[in-house]
This record gives sequence, structure tokens and C-alpha cells, in this order.
Amino acid sequence: MPDPASRTRPARRGALLAALAIGLGLIAAPVAFAMFDRAPQGATMIADFEPFMTAPRLEGFQNDIATIDAAVREVDASTDPVVVEAREASAGYAPLSEQWPQIHEDMTGLLDDVQANLGNYQAVAALPDFALFPWFFLVPGALITALAGLGLLAPRRRTALVRGGLALLGAGLIAAPVAFQMFDRAPAGGRMMDAFATIQTTENVTRIQGYFATMAAGQGALRLDVVPAVAQRIGPDAAAETLPATTALDAAWIGILGDMTPMIGAMSDNVDSYQAVASLPPFPLFPWFFVAPGVLLLAIAGPGLRGRRPTEEAATRAPSPTPSPADAPAPGLTEGVR
Amino acid sequence: MTTLSTTVLPPLRRTSRRRRLATLALLATATGGALTACSSDDGGDAPAGGDASRAGSVALVGTFALDPGACDGAPSGSYFRMVNSGGTLEEGPYFPNPDSSCSDPSITPIAPGTDGGLVTGGYQPSPDPAFDDQGNAQADGITAPAGFAAIQFGLSTQETDPQTGTEVPAPEILAADGELSGQITAWSASWNSLYFNQGSPKPDGSSPGLTAPVSGTYDEETGRFVLEWASAVVDGPFNGFTGVWHLEGTFTPA
Repeated sequence: MPDPASRTRPARRGALLAALAIGLGLIAAPVAFAMFDRAPQGATMIADFEPFMTAPRLEGFQNDIATIDAAVREVDASTDPVVVEAREASAGYAPLSEQWPQIHEDMTGLLDDVQANLGNYQAVAALPDFALFPWFFLVPGALITALAGLGLLAPRRRTALVRGGLALLGAGLIAAPVAFQMFDRAPAGGRMMDAFATIQTTENVTRIQGYFATMAAGQGALRLDVVPAVAQRIGPDAAAETLPATTALDAAWIGILGDMTPMIGAMSDNVDSYQAVASLPPFPLFPWFFVAPGVLLLAIAGPGLRGRRPTEEAATRAPSPTPSPADAPAPGLTEGVR
Repeated sequence: MTTLSTTVLPPLRRTSRRRRLATLALLATATGGALTACSSDDGGDAPAGGDASRAGSVALVGTFALDPGACDGAPSGSYFRMVNSGGTLEEGPYFPNPDSSCSDPSITPIAPGTDGGLVTGGYQPSPDPAFDDQGNAQADGITAPAGFAAIQFGLSTQETDPQTGTEVPAPEILAADGELSGQITAWSASWNSLYFNQGSPKPDGSSPGLTAPVSGTYDEETGRFVLEWASAVVDGPFNGFTGVWHLEGTFTPA
């Protein structure tokens, strides 16, 4: 007859197997979602956008576009014969004049979208480093697996450790999203990812690069063709008075280049990073990836692994000196409730 | 005759993985070229200033002194143009540089710098600082800084490519039967406080996009040369654009 102490009660064994499944699931999640590749790309994207994602910087980009807009409108709307002649003589200016309404609309719209998501970006940036995310699954997963394995392999020993450890990990998994404000920040990240879905594409970035080329060439035409031609006819001071917005653009151009070039670079460099992050599960689900296993673990560590108290054991024990195996308390379980 | 690995290629030192890959790619390319040369050449002598590296193919070590670019009708001398993202080397479209002195603003003439041009067998690094406070490049050894969309760009070659942070070999140009080949991986353009590797092959040994290998012609008697290549911009604001380089002038051995 088998020694009852050598057997694990089915319910306890089932609970430990469930814990083992949760642990293995947490270990598998980063691999299944390719987090070790994608999460660091998310970290890179967040870091690369950081210099631009401030209210003053975004307002500066809007001002840059407004400065170009004012110059183009000024030159295009001018009826001064000197300006008209200079404008029409500049082959380099024509593409900017023709394409500006579309460029202006697209660039302003893009900046509006980005500005509207500044808070969402900041919420995501306030989360722990994306590169750590796979470890947030892997480490507790490994610990849960180890504890569950210990409980299964050594049923008579360390029950308190198993129960306590699983309960602690469960509580930790529940607490982590709360501590990191993931219930607010993760949905904000989801909204940012949605908003950037049409921005962070190769097609869009290529279009913006083309806009940049058109703006650079057009500004050069204003700077090197139109303004000098007007100045030659009426003098530099009068030219500046006739074309104040254009003169302002020329003065601001280096700064505009300094603003826009790295921003376009960051957009271009992070198309793949965005796509990698977008391939992860939806952001709003992330806190639940921790809470759900945490709740399950607490359930397992509590009722699932709780043994009967000694008094209960005594009461249920048959008068016979040899209890039936089915009624025997699980080995070591009483330790866990002392 | 020295061996290919000691004359043409840099030694395999303690390098990054990228550097090793780049070197291996170069070794494969050079080895392929060597096999071709060995099978077809007549074992001609090395021209003056050239290091005989293998039969019929020599590494030209010295200065490729540049003729300044000019735009009297068709472009001549040394110049640069940039193909827009999605374009082709033959048809463009090209980035119109408003600061170009050419009637075709896609062509930006370049003039020799303080070193006279491209020096092979060594590096021509940027000064420190490499930019002024407006983002104008200060490198002026290979070429004189030239205006590009209101900001001066410069050219340099340095042991560590400033864009990728990868160690790269010094430029090496090989001559065989009047044809030029080699690698110019270290060629780097600086502009607006940014760096753009414009080498071929790229620092990782690849030739992405429209990147085209170094080619050209060389007259042993006169030293006259034409050197051309194309290099896709990888990453940054001009990602997907391609620089097309045309250098022309006279080679002066070291």
C-alpha cells in the first residue's frame, strides 16, 4: 500500500500545474511576441523622439511652417511688378509655389497630430524602459515556474515557500501595473500608436523628405533669385520692406533647417521601430498581462494550495490508525498554514 | 610582389563585427577581382606611384588631385549630385541644390581642398570641431566646403565612420588596364551638424539601394583619372537618397 505521505493531493497538484502553466506562459510571452527584438526598438523610438516631443519644440515646428507660409504667400500674392518679375524669372521657386498648399496642409496636419499626442507620448515615455519589458515577463515567469516545479517535485517540503512565493509573485504582478500607472499610460500609448500609424510609414516619410527638398530648393530660390533680383531693382532696404516675410524666412532658414532636418531623420530612422512596436499586442492589454496571471496566482496560492488545519485533519481522520490515502492531508501542507 | 592581404586590404585586427564583415566583403571582392585579373591580364608593370599588389592590378597610393567642377554646358571636373528617394541613377529625380552654380541645380560642383583632393593609403579626417555654430562643415582637406541648401558641406575620411561609428579602412583605389576599382568606404559628407556616410561599399560591407562600386579610368602616362561611385544614404533625414560622386583630375603618387 503506498504511503499517503508520498502522494500529492490531486487538487494541490492541479493548482501547482496551473501555476507552472502560468509561469511557462509568462516565459513564453516575450518569445511569442518577439519582445526581445521589438521592445528595444520601442525604447529606441521613444528615445529618438524625446528631443522633439516637448511643447516648445513642437510649437517651434509650427512656427517654422508658418514662417515659410508667410513668405510664400507674400511672394505669390504680391502685385508689385518688381516682385512679380523676379518671381516669374525664378525657375527654382515655381515648384514651391505650386506645391506649397499641399505641403502646408500636410505638414500642419502632421504637427497637429503630433502635438495632440504629446501627452500620450509623455505617458509612454514615463513607463519603464521598453527594453526591460520582456524581462518583466521572463523573470516572474521563471520564478513561478521554479516554485511550481519545486512544489511538484518535492511535495513534502517547502510548501510554505511555494505558497508564500507564489502569493508574493501574484501580488507583485498585480501591483506592478498599478505602481507604473500602466492603466493610464498604456492606453495613452495605444492612442499614440494609433495616431502615428499614418505618420510613421515609409510612404509618408518619403513624402515629407520630398517636401523638405521642395522647401529647401524653394527657399534657396527666394534667397538667391527673388530677393536679390528685387534688391537689385529697388535696393536692399526697400526689398526688405517690400518682402518682410521673405526676408524673415531667409534670416530664420538655418534655424529651420536645424529644426527640421533632425526631426525628419528621427522619423525616417524609426519607421521600422514603429512597425515593430505596432506588432506587439495592443498597449491597453499590457497591464492585464500582469494582473490576470497575478490574480490566478493568488487564487492558486490561497485556496488552491491551502491545507487543512491540524484540528480539521484530526476531526476528519478515521478512527482507524491508518487513514485512507484519499483523506490524508497533503504532505507538508499543514506547514504552510501554521 | 606583396600579397593581396597585406597590400590591398587592412589587416584583420581587433575590430567590431561590422568591421570584420566589411573587411571580409572587401576581401571577397578583391579576391574575385584578383582571380579575374590573373586569368586575363598580361602581368604588366606597376605604374609610377603604384604598389604592385597582383599581376596587372596596382594600388594607387598618393593624391587624386581634383579638377574643380565647372558647368559650361555639360558638367566637367569634379561634382556631386543627389538622387531623391525612389529615383534612379540615370533618370533621377535629383535634389535641386539652390546653392549650385550650375544652370542644372542638381549638379553641385566641388573644388579641391587644402590637400588637393583624395588621398589614398591614409585618412583625411574632419577638424575638431567639425561644424560651426550654424552647422557648416569645417572639413576642407579633400574639397573646399560647398553650399548645399544654405549650409556648407564638407568631405572627410576617418578611421571611425562618424555616422555609423564603425571602423573603416582607408580609401584604396586599384588600377588595372586603365580601369579603376577599389573601395572608398570611409568617404563621409558632413552637413548641418550631421554626418552621412557616402562610401562604397558601406561600412558594413553592403551596397544597399543604388550604391554602386567605385569605377573609373586611369591613364598611366598622364595620371589623369575619372573616379565615380554612388552611395545610398542609410538612415537620417536623407535616408533613401543617393549621392552620386564624380571625381576627375590627376593622380600624384605619394
